[in-house]
Amino acid sequence: MNLRLRCAPGALSCMAVLFSFPAFAKPIAFANGTTVMAEYGAGTMRELQVFYAPRYFFSAGLGHIALDSDIDDRSRDITYARLNYLVKRWNLESAQANIFTWGSAGRATTGDDGAGHFAWNTGAQFDYETRRVYGSLKSDYYSSSAFSHRIDTLQLGVAPYAHDYSTLATWFVVQARQYTGQIHNGTEVALLLRLFKRGAWIEAGPTTDGKVQAMFMLNF
Amino acid sequence: MRTSYVLLAILALLDTDARAGTIEMKVNGLVCGFCAQGIEKTLRKNPATADVLVSLEDRLVAVVTKEGQDISDDELKKALTASGYDVKAIERTATPLADIRARLGRKSR
Repeated sequence: MNLRLRCAPGALSCMAVLFSFPAFAKPIAFANGTTVMAEYGAGTMRELQVFYAPRYFFSAGLGHIALDSDIDDRSRDITYARLNYLVKRWNLESAQANIFTWGSAGRATTGDDGAGHFAWNTGAQFDYETRRVYGSLKSDYYSSSAFSHRIDTLQLGVAPYAHDYSTLATWFVVQARQYTGQIHNGTEVALLLRLFKRGAWIEAGPTTDGKVQAMFMLNF
Repeated sequence: MRTSYVLLAILALLDTDARAGTIEMKVNGLVCGFCAQGIEKTLRKNPATADVLVSLEDRLVAVVTKEGQDISDDELKKALTASGYDVKAIERTATPLADIRARLGRKSR
């Protein structure tokens, strides 16, 4: 059964067709840097990514995403090779904004037959951040002969104090996420506590459904 | 008496040499630890770099060069641009990094 991309109504899905405002989690951290990201998305999504950035505007790496539909009870697993590109950066006096885009190709399997299908992905992200306020919007579209779906994620964060390089950064983040393609109905909303210092970052918190949303990232 | 003047002059010269290698840069877009991490990593790769200090609060990147060595403005701008940031000003000072840290520490209190 082919699952068609369905554009759910609502402000979030309309805003997130192409761009995304993700939190500081960027697919490219810095030149000659390696980024390892792992996310547990409230029982619906799990993702692991490893990227190396030879330049500040470009990175390449591998990833795996697993989606568990709570609509049709099917699972979808995609293993991919991805290229990330920084389209535009605005370095303001006390703020920074970025537009990233990426594309990937890989192999997908579903819980139906276990057979492999060619899968591709494209996505984009927009973020704006100061040391006290942060907003990001991210949209990720996956397609294969067996399914297609989109994941839109909006994050808004505030910091109770302005951190510096050598101090722990603390953020309170509200995350709203929508899935298309028979993955999950409605919007997942999570309240997250984000902590990071130098190259290490962790964020976690409950969704309004009482599930756990968590992410870990390491840059080195 | 004359010997004392000579000694004082030598000491003054030594002191100046010890402090001559501090370069302070004002950088736009410095808002997170990852920004600072990338800049520090890039600057530390330069063989003339002795130490690096990054302050997000002051949008400041300070580099101390090894004695008798220097990093040109062009090299610094290239390094910061290659890290994805914009250098707005470069100033060479005689301020030791410890004094800059102390100054920044006082401001943040």
